[in-house]
Amino acid sequence: MLVSTDSPDPWLERIKAEIRDEAAAARQRTPLPRIEPRVATTADPAPAGSGIEPARLDYVIADLTGADYGAFIDHAFRSLLKREPDPAGAGEHLRRLIEGAPKAEILGDLRWSGEGRRIGARVRGLLPRYLLAKFARVPVLGFVVDWGLALAGLPVLMRHQRAMDTVNAARFSDLRTLQRDCQTRFAGHEAAQQALASAQQALVAELQRGSAQFEQQLAQLQQRADALARTIEAEAQASTGELTQLRHEVHATHHWLASLQQALAALDEATAQAQAREDALAAAVGEDVAAQAQRSERQRAWSALLATRLGTGTRVLDLGSGAGTWLRALAAAGLVADGVEANAQLVARARQDGTTVALGAPLDALTRCADAGVAALTVSASLLDGREAVTRLLDEARRALAPGAWLLLRVEDEPQHYRVRLLDARSCAALLAAAGFVAAEVVAGHGGSAVLARQP
Amino acid sequence: MKAAILLPVLADRDAVGNDVLAMAGLLRERGIDTRIFCDQALGVAEPTYPPNKALDFAGGPADLMLYEFSVGWPVALDILRRARGYRIVRYQNITPPEFFAGYSAAHVAACERGRAEIPQVARLDCELYLGGSTYNSEELIAAGAPRARSAVLAPFHRIDDLLTIEADLPLLDALGDGARNVLMVGRVAPNKGHLELVDTFAALVDGWGDPARLLIVGKSDPQLKGWTERIRARIDQHRLGARVRWLDSVSPAQLKSAYLASHAFLTMSRHEGFCVPVVEAMALGTPVVAYGSSALPETIGGGGIVWPEPDPWLHAASIARLASDEGFRNELRDAGRRRYQQAYSTHALRTRFHQVLEAVS
Repeated sequence: MLVSTDSPDPWLERIKAEIRDEAAAARQRTPLPRIEPRVATTADPAPAGSGIEPARLDYVIADLTGADYGAFIDHAFRSLLKREPDPAGAGEHLRRLIEGAPKAEILGDLRWSGEGRRIGARVRGLLPRYLLAKFARVPVLGFVVDWGLALAGLPVLMRHQRAMDTVNAARFSDLRTLQRDCQTRFAGHEAAQQALASAQQALVAELQRGSAQFEQQLAQLQQRADALARTIEAEAQASTGELTQLRHEVHATHHWLASLQQALAALDEATAQAQAREDALAAAVGEDVAAQAQRSERQRAWSALLATRLGTGTRVLDLGSGAGTWLRALAAAGLVADGVEANAQLVARARQDGTTVALGAPLDALTRCADAGVAALTVSASLLDGREAVTRLLDEARRALAPGAWLLLRVEDEPQHYRVRLLDARSCAALLAAAGFVAAEVVAGHGGSAVLARQP
Repeated sequence: MKAAILLPVLADRDAVGNDVLAMAGLLRERGIDTRIFCDQALGVAEPTYPPNKALDFAGGPADLMLYEFSVGWPVALDILRRARGYRIVRYQNITPPEFFAGYSAAHVAACERGRAEIPQVARLDCELYLGGSTYNSEELIAAGAPRARSAVLAPFHRIDDLLTIEADLPLLDALGDGARNVLMVGRVAPNKGHLELVDTFAALVDGWGDPARLLIVGKSDPQLKGWTERIRARIDQHRLGARVRWLDSVSPAQLKSAYLASHAFLTMSRHEGFCVPVVEAMALGTPVVAYGSSALPETIGGGGIVWPEPDPWLHAASIARLASDEGFRNELRDAGRRRYQQAYSTHALRTRFHQVLEAVS
């Protein structure tokens, strides 16, 4: 999934080879003078590209007299004074040129000025011409010498004049030709200009048409946009109405839910009160003295029998402990008993009698026991109230009792509470056998029966 | 699916921050609920969350955990070990500490911590290791990351913004005074090769006599004051003070002006995991001349001149050739722009990122 770099480009490789050669050559040569960037050299009087050659100090006179008028003055300053001409100096020398001063005299004045002497440029052939020009300024003698030189040079001047006439005639002819050419081109340009003007007018007309169409389309778009805005506004208003309705409905639902919660709370309260009344009623069922004696007698016998089977010190779980009489009997027989009772009134009574009974649903207490974690279980048959309770008790007892552990069902005659007992001792024994318990036996007498069975 | 992006510090206009914010945006475009988890967020509008909440958000088997690995951060190692979903490590390289020796003990310690975590990250057996360059990926593979689960995706950037904003016109005018501008962009740090840069510029001035100017653009670090002073001393030694212009903190508009006004972009950097400024130069049409260290040859590709040795005369000759050969200059500009469009444009990076994510979703 990784990428590779690009392959080398032959063209670039060739250029790089040339650059490598140039780098090697540059490394060998003497460093060039550094040319500073313009911003860094504002004080430099000779910026690059000015035409001034500071290092050149040797000229021949022809180098300096080739140019005319302003160019001659400019070049003379740059060559002999190594600077650009100042406006005053350039003006003065131009005036002298116009008055007929020889170029040699102007060059000499610059060369042998104070500034020119400091620079010291050499101009071969200038000195004699300069002296002659200066000599011509001497009164009378200079005038005679000037005339003599003029007369001596008259034949040359005549020949020069004839040559100039010819040159001027040729230039005049060229100018006429050029003039005709310009006229032709001017006519062509005029025609092209007219064509361009026509094209421009057509373009302007087309632009105006386009502009009108654009404005028309813009107006249509504006109309559509307005219509769309109106539609959106109407829909928004409709949505606002729906939203208001929805908010009312949400509020109504909220009130209904709050009322429902209050009703449910009232129901829960009523259920709790009913349960309390039921518990009070069951706890209030009285027993006569004879029944109490019978119960004590049979529970002593059952607990003794159980202690024989289990051995003293064994821990027993009792479900439906009531007011704790059975737990006290088990304790008296040397067994360690834990009881669970759902009736809060009976639990309170057991506590008054010094016996601790846990308040809670007895079958839930059994459900919370670990698999094979109970050594012995005793159950009041009053808990077997309906098919669901019977099935659940037997399933949980089979699960929770350890192998070989004993189960004792107390089927007692006297009313512990007002519930109708549905199963008799024989039916209980049959149910235990059907559920998989073994060695089921019924011990009857003293107003009740105990059904004893063993986990296989 | 949810995605969590981890990094220690999320900062605006920072290469790592740009990369993370772009990836978060692309993940969201794919309909993935994405959040960024970091210790610190500086100048970003994006909401961020504390790192200890990353696993609660995207630690499940169907989630994506992406770590932007650019400094040492043990928090991320712990989170990646405990994440049960698809894990991506995005590696942007960590500068070797030896570059900072003698300049900043704090930098040396930070880089050592980061480099020490490379083998640990590589051996986390993550589902994907995503290097910013092949150079970065190979470093992770050498440390133990599986080659079959390694891929390359260049870092996301904000060059599109640079292309569209208006340049700083006063700076553009100031730099357009006729001098040939040679540009270097990058933070002022010892791995960036500033001494070789100044030597190269001196060779250019001595060998070709150009009225040239060196523009050094990049933030200087007070903790690396010794390095900055060394660069200044080298400039003075070459008597180039009047020709060097430092731009410490530049706005995007000023940065654009620097690129536009420069005749060449020159980097002599000795260690780069990718080098975004090179890509910026290519995008803006500034010809690139570079010393081919670390990831630079790969980043530049055919979009500039790359030399395998840091010879100042070679690089100076390249800039001189660019100045004198208009055809070559135009070809190199075009090559840079092509390279940018093909490899680093936003479109190219988005396409590549989506290819990578195909394996995830």
